[in-house]
Amino acid sequence: MTSLLRSHARSVLALAVLTTGLTVVRADQRDEELQTLRDQIRQLDQKLKVIERKQELKDEDASATAKTTPKIALTDKGFIFSSADGANAVKIRGLAQLDSRLFFGDDGGTLVNNSFVLRRARIVSEGTFAKNYSFQIVPEFGGNSVSLVDANFGVTINKAFQFKFGRQKSPVGLELLQSDSWTFFNERSLVTNLVPNRDTGILVTGDLAGGAINYAAGVFGGVADGASTTNSDFDNEKDLVARIFASPFKNSAGSLVQGLSFGVSGSLGREKTATGRTGGYKTDGQQTLFSYLSTVVADGQSWRVSPQFDYRNGSFGVIGEYVVSTVNVRPSATAAKIELQNKAWQLAAGYVLTGEDSSYAGVVPKTNFDWSAGTWGAFEVAARYATLEVDDAAFPLLASPSASAEKASTVGLGLNWYLSKAVRLTFDYYQTKFGFNSAAPIISGTQFLRQDEKAFITRFQLSF
Amino acid sequence: MKSKILSLSFFALVFTGAVFAKDIELLNVSYDPTRELYQEYNIAFAKYWKEKTKTSTAAGDNVTVKQSHGGSGKQARSVIDGLSADVVTLALAADVDALYDNAKLLPQDWQKRLPENSAPYTSTIVFLVRKGNPKGIKDWDDLIKSGVSVITPNPKTSGGARWNYLAAWGFAAKKFNGDEAKVKDFVSALYKNVPVLDSGARGSTTTFVQRGIGDVLLAWENEAFLSLKEFGADKFEIVVPSLSILAEPTVSVVDKVVKKKGTEAVAKAYLEYLYSDEGQEIAGRNFYRPRNAAIAAKYAGTFPQLELITIDQAFGGWTKAQKTHFADGGVFDQIYAK
Repeated sequence: MTSLLRSHARSVLALAVLTTGLTVVRADQRDEELQTLRDQIRQLDQKLKVIERKQELKDEDASATAKTTPKIALTDKGFIFSSADGANAVKIRGLAQLDSRLFFGDDGGTLVNNSFVLRRARIVSEGTFAKNYSFQIVPEFGGNSVSLVDANFGVTINKAFQFKFGRQKSPVGLELLQSDSWTFFNERSLVTNLVPNRDTGILVTGDLAGGAINYAAGVFGGVADGASTTNSDFDNEKDLVARIFASPFKNSAGSLVQGLSFGVSGSLGREKTATGRTGGYKTDGQQTLFSYLSTVVADGQSWRVSPQFDYRNGSFGVIGEYVVSTVNVRPSATAAKIELQNKAWQLAAGYVLTGEDSSYAGVVPKTNFDWSAGTWGAFEVAARYATLEVDDAAFPLLASPSASAEKASTVGLGLNWYLSKAVRLTFDYYQTKFGFNSAAPIISGTQFLRQDEKAFITRFQLSF
Repeated sequence: MKSKILSLSFFALVFTGAVFAKDIELLNVSYDPTRELYQEYNIAFAKYWKEKTKTSTAAGDNVTVKQSHGGSGKQARSVIDGLSADVVTLALAADVDALYDNAKLLPQDWQKRLPENSAPYTSTIVFLVRKGNPKGIKDWDDLIKSGVSVITPNPKTSGGARWNYLAAWGFAAKKFNGDEAKVKDFVSALYKNVPVLDSGARGSTTTFVQRGIGDVLLAWENEAFLSLKEFGADKFEIVVPSLSILAEPTVSVVDKVVKKKGTEAVAKAYLEYLYSDEGQEIAGRNFYRPRNAAIAAKYAGTFPQLELITIDQAFGGWTKAQKTHFADGGVFDQIYAK
């Protein structure tokens, strides 16, 4: 029994020793494994940190490089090349307008030709140097000959004082000041006949009261109604031009009148030229409705006043302007002076059917027209009424009552399809009614004035 | 009545003086780790200059010194490309030479214009390791061992990195008795252990200290001390190798810029004042080795004694070293591309 117990005890002891030994071996192995795992984790941690740091350095490098790398942008606003800080930039833009003009009811289509017209083809070069100095050069390749539309340079003192020198739009007509690309209709209204177009001079302009008031004032060579300077000044006299335009509610978010802007513009000058004051007033179909006799010369004071407004509320927009243009002319160089006061006004409205905002700077479609994607761009409908009255005193000494109308009124209806921000198709119908001295005889070539002008003008426009 | 006139005269004098006190702005384009040094120095110099230019009728001129820091080579490139630096305080003479070589912004002999070859303070390269030195790094030999991760910036953009490289080269040249093939292999092996190349010394410090990458940072001595001061001696320790290199950061006025800006006199004085007792004290306080013997003695306890090779003795000067090792296609490009 005792020996049996001893034998058991030995066995237990041997087992205990064996177990302890195994435990020690296992603990060592575990420690070793743990150490290996720790090393692996440390190495992986280092690798991860190195990857993160390399990315960090790459980002820092990219950010530093971006600060000095000139930028090139190809957008629907043109090709823009600018220095990294944006202080120097050159922008190349373009405008191309191909029109088709279709006239109805003009005595069987014989009086006015239906035609395709390259209305405008311009390459616009603009730029800024040292942030505050800018330039703009706009040659025109449309029409019958190449001409220069704008060529000016600017100096910005601050937002309130910006100078512009050279050939530029004279700041009188509201619709004229709007870009050709974004007017409600493809042709500007009768009103634009009475305001100066491009003129050469010096303009100071700026925003006051946080942009609530915009002003412009300048001295220009002076041009006739609707005319642009030929880069020659025919007399020593100059025109003073000024405009003030207020958007007093622009910060009243949610207010019905937030998008209301209004103002007044005008010009004052003296003219003494060897030629008439204007080459003629034109209809929306670009037919001459009034012209001075060839012997007429301008001599004396001229002035214009134009109250105007612009209102936008969501998809709806409306503009209105009235112009009175006074000019002193002589039937011939030695004849007595006659003062004429011609007047015009217009009211035009548009509504974007697809919900985009109506804007003085054009509609930006939410989606571009893309057949495969099933998107259609933006559609806008527009309506306009405009009228122009020539002073009775113009007839018969200054203008032929048989060849020039005394009055014209146009109703316009339009549809604009914005295929993208840069591409627009317009479909406009204009019907113009003329007023004549009933006794005036009809002479060859002016028969169309005796009936309403019914013009359907479509335009394919690329503007960037 | 008399007292009123006197008072008025006094105010007129004060006012006139204030009117004639000039406001001067300088731009010091420097290398990466000198931020703290020049922050302190600029204040001292502005005070000195105001006092120096003060007259009985005019208050002294107000000098504001703007600082720009980055990899020394990169900074030199910026000045060449048009950064209007009145003065440059770069990591090595070769980077200042580049201003002459590439843009003739200063005369060729610019280094002779100020004492001590235009190096008002010196430094050297040491190792910064993690507390306890877990990889047992003692000398350059240890840096080529497998599993040792070494942090050093890119010698193509950083002056400090070039000193690091040349110190390693100097050590290997001594170890292998100038056997260039073996020296190249040694330096090549070292750079194989470098996981990331920052563009400047401060970037490498960030990599090692703040991002926790690597086992050892090859650092400017002043940068290593600054890391201990800022991040705690309980986290890092400095290891002094058996041999290193005498780094001589150099300074110069950028003649073309100061002549254009009309800041020549004050820019010159700015650099000259680095050699003054106060300038040397500030250098010492910021862990740069002062040139002034008396002030250097005062800080002797701070800086360890070690064998220092010089760029002229070991490499034939900066022009030669730059061309041989760091120019495009040079030795560094060859070993790093391997």
